[in-house]
Amino acid sequence: MKLIILLCSFFAASLAQGPTLVLLDNQVIKETHSIFFKSLQDRGYTLTFKIADDASLVLSRYGEYLYKNLIIFAPSVEEFGGSLNVDAITQFVDDGGNVLVAGSSETGDVLRELASECGFEVDEEGAFVIDHHGFSVDDNGQHTKLVVSSDNLIDAPVIVGPKKGVAPLLYQGTGILTDVENPLVLPLLTADSTAYSFNPDQPIKEYPHAVGRDTVLIAGIQARNNARVVFSGSLSFFSDEFFTSSVERAQGGLSAKKSGNEDVSTAVTQWVFKEHGQLRVRSVKHHKEGEKDAPNDYTIMENVVYTIEIDILEKGQWKPFTATDVQLEFVRIDPFVRTTLKRKPAGQYEARFTIPDVYGVYQFKVDYDRVGYTRLFSTTQVSVRPLQHTQYERFITSAYPYYTGAFSMMIGVFIFSFVFLHLKEDEKKPKGD
Amino acid sequence: MVQAGSKKASISKINTKAGISSLIIFVVLLLAWIAGFSSRLFAVIRFESIIHEFDPWFNYRATAYMVKHGFYNFLNWFDERAWYPLGRIVGGTVYPGLMLTSGSIHYVLHLLHINVHIRDICVFLAPVFSGLTSISTYLLTKELWSAGAGLFAACFIAIVPGYISRSVAGSYDNEGIAIFALQFTYYLWIKSVKTGSVFWAVAASLSYFYMVSAWGGYVFIINLIPLHVFVLLLMGRYSNRLFTSYTTFYILGLIFSMQIPFVGFQPIRTSEHMAAGGVFALMFAVGVLKYLQSMLSKTEFKSLVVFGGLIAAGVVFLAVVLLTYAGYVAPWSGRFYSLWDTGYAKIHIPIIASVSEHQPTTWFSFFFDLHILVATFPAGLWYTIKNINDERVFVVLYALSAVYFAGVMVRLMLTLTPVVCILSGVAFSGLLELFLREDDNNRVEDSEEDEQSTPSKRLYDKAGKVPKMKHEQTRDTDSIGPNLRSIVTVVILLLLMLFAVHCTWVTSNAYSSPSIVLASYGSDGSRQILDDFREAYFWLSQNTADYARVMSWWDYGYQIAGMANRTTLVDNNTWNNSHIALVGKAMSSNESAAYEIMTALDVDYVLVIFGGVIGYSGDDINKFLWMVRIAEGEHPKDIRESDYFTEHGEFRVDAEGSPTLLNCLMYKLSYYRFGELKLDYRSPAGFDRTRNAVIGNKDFQLTYLEEAYTTEHWLVRVYRVKKPEEFNRPRIPVANRVVKSSKYISKKNTKRKKGVIKNRPQIVKGKRLSSQKLK
Repeated sequence: MKLIILLCSFFAASLAQGPTLVLLDNQVIKETHSIFFKSLQDRGYTLTFKIADDASLVLSRYGEYLYKNLIIFAPSVEEFGGSLNVDAITQFVDDGGNVLVAGSSETGDVLRELASECGFEVDEEGAFVIDHHGFSVDDNGQHTKLVVSSDNLIDAPVIVGPKKGVAPLLYQGTGILTDVENPLVLPLLTADSTAYSFNPDQPIKEYPHAVGRDTVLIAGIQARNNARVVFSGSLSFFSDEFFTSSVERAQGGLSAKKSGNEDVSTAVTQWVFKEHGQLRVRSVKHHKEGEKDAPNDYTIMENVVYTIEIDILEKGQWKPFTATDVQLEFVRIDPFVRTTLKRKPAGQYEARFTIPDVYGVYQFKVDYDRVGYTRLFSTTQVSVRPLQHTQYERFITSAYPYYTGAFSMMIGVFIFSFVFLHLKEDEKKPKGD
Repeated sequence: MVQAGSKKASISKINTKAGISSLIIFVVLLLAWIAGFSSRLFAVIRFESIIHEFDPWFNYRATAYMVKHGFYNFLNWFDERAWYPLGRIVGGTVYPGLMLTSGSIHYVLHLLHINVHIRDICVFLAPVFSGLTSISTYLLTKELWSAGAGLFAACFIAIVPGYISRSVAGSYDNEGIAIFALQFTYYLWIKSVKTGSVFWAVAASLSYFYMVSAWGGYVFIINLIPLHVFVLLLMGRYSNRLFTSYTTFYILGLIFSMQIPFVGFQPIRTSEHMAAGGVFALMFAVGVLKYLQSMLSKTEFKSLVVFGGLIAAGVVFLAVVLLTYAGYVAPWSGRFYSLWDTGYAKIHIPIIASVSEHQPTTWFSFFFDLHILVATFPAGLWYTIKNINDERVFVVLYALSAVYFAGVMVRLMLTLTPVVCILSGVAFSGLLELFLREDDNNRVEDSEEDEQSTPSKRLYDKAGKVPKMKHEQTRDTDSIGPNLRSIVTVVILLLLMLFAVHCTWVTSNAYSSPSIVLASYGSDGSRQILDDFREAYFWLSQNTADYARVMSWWDYGYQIAGMANRTTLVDNNTWNNSHIALVGKAMSSNESAAYEIMTALDVDYVLVIFGGVIGYSGDDINKFLWMVRIAEGEHPKDIRESDYFTEHGEFRVDAEGSPTLLNCLMYKLSYYRFGELKLDYRSPAGFDRTRNAVIGNKDFQLTYLEEAYTTEHWLVRVYRVKKPEEFNRPRIPVANRVVKSSKYISKKNTKRKKGVIKNRPQIVKGKRLSSQKLK
C-alpha cells in the first residue's frame, strides 16, 4: 500500500507542472470556473487561490519565486494586496514566469497597466465588444454576448489547438487593442469584422477604439526570454457556463451543442504555461567532411558538415522535434550560405556545404522563430582561415615556360663557363707554343 | 728574440698612430653606444619595463606568438581576434623583421641558458639597436668623408631626439631596427659604388632585404638609390663600378624583397617601385651606348643617341602607362600622393590625415628634434657639394629628399635625422680640423689611413679656397690666431654641450612616456601615477567572457588585444577603411542607430577614453571629428560633419553645442553620469577640464548600453551593450497609449498592505463590510 502511495506521489510529482498562484476577485469565481481549475489541477498544477487584495500576497521570497505561473482572474482589482504590483508582475515575466490574465468590462487600471507593459491595451472601463450580427441567441439585448467562429483563432495549432472542428466560441467582455509595432504580440482570437468595442449604455459619439478585426478578444505574447503572457478580455470565456452551454448565433446560423471554449481554453493554458511549443537545442556538431571532430579552424573552400539536434517538450519529456523548415545560415555580418537543414532518420538535422572563398570569423546560425514555439537560437563561432603557405599549388602549369627558362639558363651558364674556362686554356697554349 | 723584439718595436712605432686612432674610434663608438643606450632608459627607470604606446603592443603580441608557436605558425597566423569578423592574416600583413630579430635573440639567449623573458628583449631591442645605428652611421660617414666626421655623426645619432623619439626602451617598433638597416644599407651601397665589387653590392642587397623585412620605409631606399644612379648618369659619371653595383643590387634586392609575404609582387607591380626598374633599364641603355661610342664615329653616335634615346624613352613611358591602365601596375597609392600634396589626405583619405604623426611638420619640431644640428647640417651639405664625388652625390640627394619628406610628415623626421647627423658631423669635423690643426703636424693626422688621406686632402685644399662663405673663415685659413682658435673651439664645444643637454632634456620630458601609464606632478613635486589604461584592460581580461568583442576607436585596438586579450573590431593596422567607418558611424550616431550597427557586429562591450576628469587631451571626444569624417567618407547620407558643429562652426560640448553632437553615442558614453560629478569647489558639476566647459547634456539615461566599468580617474570607460533578449517585452510608452488611464494613487502603506477591489460583491457577513469600508 505504502509503495503504491509512493509510486502515486512520484507519478504526481513527475506530472507536476509547477506551483501556480490564482488571484481572484472573490471566492465565487472559484465556483463559477470550477471546470477550468479542475482541468488545470488534473494536468498536475498546484493551484494556490488568493483574493487579489490579500495583504499577504508575495510572488517571491528570498529571491526565489514561489510560483512558476500566475493566473489573474480578478478583473476589477484596483490594487493588488501585499507586495504585489505591476512592477512585481512584470519582473516576474522578465524572470521567466508565465501569466494568464482575464479581464472584463470592469477591468481595473492595474490590469490595464499590466497589459500595456506587455504590448496591448484594454479598452475603457465599461466597454464591451458589441456585434450586432454575431450575437448569441440568449443575448440580453445589448448584443454583447458573442458567438465567434473558430476561424477567427490564430493560425497556430500549438497555441489554440486544431482549428478544424472546433465549435464556435462564446465571448462576453471587453476588447483588446494591440500595439502594431510590437512584433511579439499575437492576436489569439479576434472579433468578427462587424464587431466594435464600446460602452453599450452610452450613445456612440466618438470613433470606437477598436473596430472590426482589429478588436482582439484574446491576445498573447511570448517575450524574448520565452515567458508567455495571455490576456483575455473576457473572464466568462473560461466560466463553467460558457464551457458547457450550447451555442447558437442569432444570425448566420452558427451553432453547436457545446461551445468550443473548453477546448480552446485548454489549449491556450497548455501554451501559456509552456506545456506546448517548447524547443531546445540538444547538441550542435560541426566538422569537416570525412572527419569526426570539430577542427580548431576551417580553411576556405572546405566541405563542412553541420548537425544540430532539436528537442521539443512533450508531456514533460524532451523528444526529437520534427520540422521541414529549419534553416542554417553561415554568417559573417551577412549570411554567405543559407540552406535548409535536412532531417536525418536518427532525428538530427544536417547540412553540408562548401565554405565560401572568403576568410574571416563566421557563425553557424540557426534561428528558428515560429509562432507559438519558443525561439530557438543557436550560434557557433568558427574561424575560417586562408590557405597556409604549404597548401598552395607547388607547380603551376602556366609557369612551365618560366621553369624551363630558369633551368635552361642554369644549364647555359654552366656550359658557357665550362667553354669559357676551356677556351682560355686554349688561348694560353698557342701563346706557350 | 732580441731581434724579433726590436722588429716588433719598430713595427709598433709605425703602428702607434694607427693603434691610438683605432683605440679612440673604438672607445668613442663604445661610449656612443652606452650613452645612446642609457639615455633611452628614462621610461624604464621612471616606470617599468613595459611596452609603450599602440603599435608596439601588436609587435610584442606577434613576437610572443612567434616565440611560442614557431616561425611557420606565425607566418600562417590567422588572427581571429582582430578585425572581428573579418580577421587578419598576420603573417601576410606584417613586416616580420622586428619579430624575427627579437625572436632570434631570444632563441640564442635561451640556447645559452640565459632565460630572459621575451618582453624584456622587446623592451630593450631599440636601445641596443641604436648602438648599431651609430656604428653604421660612423661607417657611412667615414666612407663619405672622414673617420673624424664619422665619430661626430655616430655620437650625434646616438643621442639626437629625432631618433630617440622612435627608439626609447619599450618603444618596440619597426623604426627601431629599420634605421639601423637603412644606414647599413646605405653604407654598403656607398662601399659597393666606391669599389665596384659584386661582393659589396650583394652585401648591400642583403642588408636591403633585412630592411624590407623590417619597415615599409624600404621604399625610400629603393627610390633613393636609383635616383643616385640616375643623377650620376646625368652628371656623366657613368662607370663600370656603378654598373656592376647597381645591376647586382637591383636584381638581388628585387628578388629578396619579393620574399617578404607582405611585399609580395609589389616591387614589380606598383608605381612606387617603377623608378628602380626604369633606372635599371637606363643603365643598360647607357652601357650599350658607351660601348657603341667606342665603335662608331661621333656624328653617327650623336644621331643614334638622339633618336635611340627618344624612341627608348617613349617606348618605356608608353609601356608603363599601358600597364597601369591594364591594371598590371598599380597606380600611386594614397599615402604616396599625400607626400606630394599635403592637402590630399585630408580630402580623400581622412584615415591617414587623422594620425597625428602624418601631419605636416612645424618649424618648432625641427629644432626640438635636431637642435643645433639643424643649423650645422646646411654647412655640412655645403662642404659635400663643394667637394662632390660619386658617393657624396648620394648623401646630397639623401639630404634633399629627406628634408622635403620631413617637412611633409612629422613621422618622416626619422629619415631626416640620420642624414642630418652625418652632415653635421661633416660640418663639425670640418670646423674642428680647421681650428684645431697645428700647422706643423697636420700631415700626421691625415696619414692615419691610406684610404682617408686623399679625400681629406682634397677637403683642405678646397675648403681653403672658399673661405668667404663662412664667417668664421673670413680670415685666411693659414693664419688663424691662437685666440680665435681657442674661442671658436670653446664655442663649438659649448654648442655641443648644449646639444647634449637639450637631447637629454627632450628625451626625458617628451619621449620617455609609455603613454599607457601617465604621470602627473603635484605642486609639491610629488608624482602621481595614473594607471587607468592597464586598470581597464585588466578589468576586461578578468571580467568579460573570453570571446567578448570590444568596440573602441581604432587607436586602442592593439592595446586591447595585447593587454586584455579580447576580440577587437578595428585596430591600428588600418587596412580596412570601411570597417573603421562603420565603427565611426556607430560612435557618431544616436544610441538606437548605433545599437543596430553594434548588434550587427556582435559587439559586447564598448570602450571609450575620456579625459575630462584629469584634463587628458588625447581622449576620444577630441578625436571625435575624425571619426565623423571617416564615417562621412563611407556613409555620406547618414553622417554629415556639419551637423556636429554649432551655427558658428564651432565644435563645442557645452549647452551651445549642436544637438546631434550632444546626443551621439560617443558623447553619451563619455559624459554618462559626468553631470553628477563635481570635481572641485570652484567649478560647477559636469565641468570638463580638457575642454574647459560645462557639458551641455547632463541628465540622460542609456537605453541600449549600461556602464560596466569606469577607471579611477574616469580615463577609460567600459560599457556593456545589452543583448536584444534584454528588451524582453516592448511596452507601450504612456504617451502612445490610446486608452488613457486615470492616475491611481496607491492606498497601500507599510502597515496596511491590503489591496483594493472595486465593486466588491456583496458577501453578506453581517455589517462588517460597511465597517471595513469606513476604515
